[in-house]
Amino acid sequence: MITHVLAAGGGASVPARDPQFLLAVVLGLLFALGTFLVLRRDIVQVVWGISILSQAANVYLVTMGGLGGSVPIVGHGSHGATATTDPLVQALVLTAIVIGFGTTAFALVLTYRVYEEHGTLDLTELGDTHE
Amino acid sequence: MSNVVIAPLLVALVTAVLTLATRSRPRIQRAVSLLGGAGYVGTVGLLVWQVFTNSILTYQLSDWTAPYGITLVADQLAVFMLAMSALVTIAALVFSADYIETFGQQIAYHPLFHLMIVGVTGAFLTGDIFNLFVWFEVMLMPSYVLVVFYSGPTHTRAGLQYAVLNLIGSAVMLLSIGGIYATTGTLNMADLAVRLANPEAFGIAVEPVVGLAALLFAVFALKAGIVPFHFWVPDAYEAAPAPVSAMLAGVTKKVGIYAIIRLLFTVFGAAHLDLGPFGDGSMLLFFGPILFVMAVGSAFLGGFAAVGQRNLDRLLAYSSIAQVGFIVLPLAVVATIPLGDAGSVAVLGGEYAVPAGKSATDGLRVLGIVAALLYALNHAVAKSLLFLVSGTISTTIGTISTDKLGGLTRSRPYLSATFLLGGLSLVGIPPLMGFFGKLTVFDTAATAMNAAGPVGEIAAIAALGAAILTIAYVSKVWNDAFWGTQSDAVLEATVQPVVLLSVVVALALTLVVLGIGLGPVYDGAHGAANAALDRGAYIDAVDPSYTGVHQ
Repeated sequence: MITHVLAAGGGASVPARDPQFLLAVVLGLLFALGTFLVLRRDIVQVVWGISILSQAANVYLVTMGGLGGSVPIVGHGSHGATATTDPLVQALVLTAIVIGFGTTAFALVLTYRVYEEHGTLDLTELGDTHE
Repeated sequence: MSNVVIAPLLVALVTAVLTLATRSRPRIQRAVSLLGGAGYVGTVGLLVWQVFTNSILTYQLSDWTAPYGITLVADQLAVFMLAMSALVTIAALVFSADYIETFGQQIAYHPLFHLMIVGVTGAFLTGDIFNLFVWFEVMLMPSYVLVVFYSGPTHTRAGLQYAVLNLIGSAVMLLSIGGIYATTGTLNMADLAVRLANPEAFGIAVEPVVGLAALLFAVFALKAGIVPFHFWVPDAYEAAPAPVSAMLAGVTKKVGIYAIIRLLFTVFGAAHLDLGPFGDGSMLLFFGPILFVMAVGSAFLGGFAAVGQRNLDRLLAYSSIAQVGFIVLPLAVVATIPLGDAGSVAVLGGEYAVPAGKSATDGLRVLGIVAALLYALNHAVAKSLLFLVSGTISTTIGTISTDKLGGLTRSRPYLSATFLLGGLSLVGIPPLMGFFGKLTVFDTAATAMNAAGPVGEIAAIAALGAAILTIAYVSKVWNDAFWGTQSDAVLEATVQPVVLLSVVVALALTLVVLGIGLGPVYDGAHGAANAALDRGAYIDAVDPSYTGVHQ
């Protein structure tokens, strides 16, 4: 019944929705994993968590721009495709990836410096050295 | 279209590159850095003069017209914030040229400092929310490095905390921007305001934007250090070198405040939202109560925590949290009151002339934003002054622990006098700038009390309680560190830092001058508040093709 309604109501847009649904699930998993890692005691895992969170935000941005449509290049989309994909989100993601690369590199260097100064990567022990 | 808009950005960027190129020659590097700082102040001054004598200036990058390209918008609000940050910047820069050891300056200090200014300037000028994210990152990256500048155990730990919290904030901000783009189809702030004001015409839903705007608001609150997003503040301010703490408290915090005013009042305020029993009006009604609780929480938590601190920098950091509460309190009060409920509005220095077709609440809103801006200016100058005094004490005496300090008034009368002026300005004693900040905050609460009842009353009581806490911690630190018998550390100190002392004296005099010559400053804040609320003028300046569509 439901599949019947979907097929009737969704029409031509059903194929485009499938990856969107899959990506929604993947995004949920990525954010859950990122949050889990950020809450860990090991600093390296925290840095991994931040990295995954920012990558998940990038995937989310791409998904928000829509996945249907053809390549957004002039004169390339004439083979039956109705519309081109929004190229703006891809430009945004490119910028965000570069920024994320820089911040991750800095966070890793900082982790190494914390290890040099404190001799530990455990956040609880790091907190104990306070005062 | 004007090229002056981009001038401060370019000056700061070029200076950052030049200081990087002249690393092998410390004297030249320092001269270039100071010259660049002076150039920055000059271009900001030119921009302020042009905007206040003419009108809003815009700059469309690469001539791509809005809403397709990135737009830089210099309106009265943006240039008011720019002028405030330029004032703190030049003081902190001259201070650091003498304060930071030569080796530290040589390796990274000057390029990082100027890159941070680039980020701050861009964040004030941009008219595009994704671009705002980019400028936030440009501002944050150097600030991470500057917080861990001394690279000791406490500094690396504070830096890690600061970096991790802000990186999570960045991911959340990106998420929110992506959602807003998907929902409304635009990233340009003016275009966003137009679309939110006419959701049917553009076929968009307003409700999802509320949640996305709330995410964005949380990120701005993190930057401004408002409770409950204040955890990074004390450790970061304590770890950073004194001039950097002055910049963090005086400038980067104000970027968060600016973003809250710009996005909530100019952009999201355009959307109409029916909250049922909680009121029917603009989206501001949703943020008003939240901001109100956060403001009162900041003022009290910061105030109570500051009273118990024994380290001067930590005390100033907690005081900073409390003062941000004072800055956003009037914003929260005027955001909470629905349109059309206020009576006639008496703004300091006469009645506010309500323009045709606008309700008197707009007058109250103007008053609230004026109060926030005047208080922000007071906090920027006074708090950076106090952080610089703390840095001078640490250079001359060798400690900033209030247990080891005492009797500074006898051996260091000028330094003590500047601290007293800064402290009194935080308390709000006339004729210092702080008095007028406090006065307008209480005026907002009193006017709201007449117009809309409980909100104004709670705000007035909260502001009174927080003001008493300010008196408590300022007088406590004055008693502990400056009055009384001279401690051993104070007696043994012989260093006479002439340059550092002249910078703090100049800043202290600025507080007095701003207070006595309040007229132009008040007019500037009034113009800025009008600009924040005059959505039509903002949209027209960015994209003239929209004339007639909005409202």
